[in-house]
Amino acid sequence: MIQLIRISKHYDRRPALSNVSLEIEKGEFVLLMGASGAGKSTLLRMLIGAERPDEGQVFVQGKNVTTLRRSEIPYLRRKVGTVFQDFRLLPKKSVFENVALPLLVQGVSPSDIRRKVTEALRAVGVEHKRDQLPVGLSTGEQQRVCIARAIVNGPVVLLADEPTGNLDPALTGEIIELFKLINARGTTVVVATHDPLVMAQVNRRVITLSDGALVPEQKVFA
Amino acid sequence: MRTLLYWFREAWANMRTNRTTTMVAILTTAFTLACVGIFLLLYVNLRAAAGWLQDDIKIMVYLDDRSSSEAISNIEQQFRGDRAVAAMYFISKEQALGEFKAQFPSESHLLEGLGQNPLPASFVVTLSPPFRSPDAVKRWSERVRQTPGVAKVDYNQDWIDALATIIRAIEVVALGIGVVLSAAAVTIIANTIRLALFARRDEIAILRLIGATTSFIRIPYLLEGAVLGGLGSALSLLMLKFLHELFRQQMQETGRLSGLDHLIAFFPIPMCVALVGVGVVLGCAGSFVSLRRFGEAKA
Repeated sequence: MIQLIRISKHYDRRPALSNVSLEIEKGEFVLLMGASGAGKSTLLRMLIGAERPDEGQVFVQGKNVTTLRRSEIPYLRRKVGTVFQDFRLLPKKSVFENVALPLLVQGVSPSDIRRKVTEALRAVGVEHKRDQLPVGLSTGEQQRVCIARAIVNGPVVLLADEPTGNLDPALTGEIIELFKLINARGTTVVVATHDPLVMAQVNRRVITLSDGALVPEQKVFA
Repeated sequence: MRTLLYWFREAWANMRTNRTTTMVAILTTAFTLACVGIFLLLYVNLRAAAGWLQDDIKIMVYLDDRSSSEAISNIEQQFRGDRAVAAMYFISKEQALGEFKAQFPSESHLLEGLGQNPLPASFVVTLSPPFRSPDAVKRWSERVRQTPGVAKVDYNQDWIDALATIIRAIEVVALGIGVVLSAAAVTIIANTIRLALFARRDEIAILRLIGATTSFIRIPYLLEGAVLGGLGSALSLLMLKFLHELFRQQMQETGRLSGLDHLIAFFPIPMCVALVGVGVVLGCAGSFVSLRRFGEAKA
């Protein structure tokens, strides 16, 4: 599903990623651990073509992301859902409109948009907030809406960059459970975090980055 | 359809959010295009005036006093067979004298002192439309001048040449000013769009991340530029129409160019539509400039 081959990336001669190679199978739930600046976000950004490696190759679902033309990148991103620490919801659009956005850019019909958005909002438990603006939601609810937007078009991969960074431990647990549910439906999930609490709650494969380099995998759970 | 609605809604939202900037952009574009429009209006009216003069041109073919009636008849036959000649009539020496006396009664005694009629007989020729350009008139006149029995060929070419020179000068000035001020209009709109892009940079980043294509992101801003350019152009036409009416009214009140004021025309409707279209194109160009710069920085 995801394959990175000898990836290196430098910012102003400072290495962000050094010779990273890894594979993630279809349907896996992987935690990408590491301190701030370890290279987690850079790696995730490479999976959606937002960064290009200086060396090496990135494959997502058999497609070489490093050689994709700029015009092909939007079509890759439609298969990969992304969840952000800061939610990145459009403040002047309702919950429904925010979640509908990925479908709208693909030209999905209005009736399908209504059905899929309702399903996604129901799946993350914020269906009753559909007409509210993000500003009226709690942080946990905003993150749920962000997740709904990421899964609304049925992506094959879900990437989450520090999704619990702004949440308290109770909400963190709820969001992790949500990711597990999404993963159970067959979506490959990659969560980048520095939070040991997340690692304890997930109990799945852990990939650790340190100063841009891959640390040999310490433990693999069922 | 929903996507189209989304684009229009986004363009409208941009304009509503930056209301002041939008108004300033429309007004400055209108003033800028109105400056170009003044020259264009002048040009259109002078072109029309040149057209009337050219259509109304009468060529006087004066005949030699020593020409026999057979030679005059030959010339007449030659003109009748000439496809450049649309119409012609003959003025005899006596008719010429009669017309002179009728037109200048106080000066008629001058001719009486000469004893004999000094005015020559002539043909007054109107050329057919394809032969009315200044060059064609000149060529035809020179050819006829060589004809035996013809003393002189005359027409009001000086007037037409002078007008043609003025029109050419205005054409060059209007083109120069048009290019400079159109570039100014593009810059004004480009800056407005740049502000809109800056205000919505986070939104654009999100759209990119969820798989929006470049054209999906750009179209609302192109629409906004088109609306700014189109409205600016329409407003400039209204301003020009107001100035045009004011000018005509002044002409009527002061009595200057009396009887000609109705000939000072405004742009015809198709040209007004075309000018609004030019505004739309300039607006789109302004948006495109900003989008390209923005795209290079953020893609």
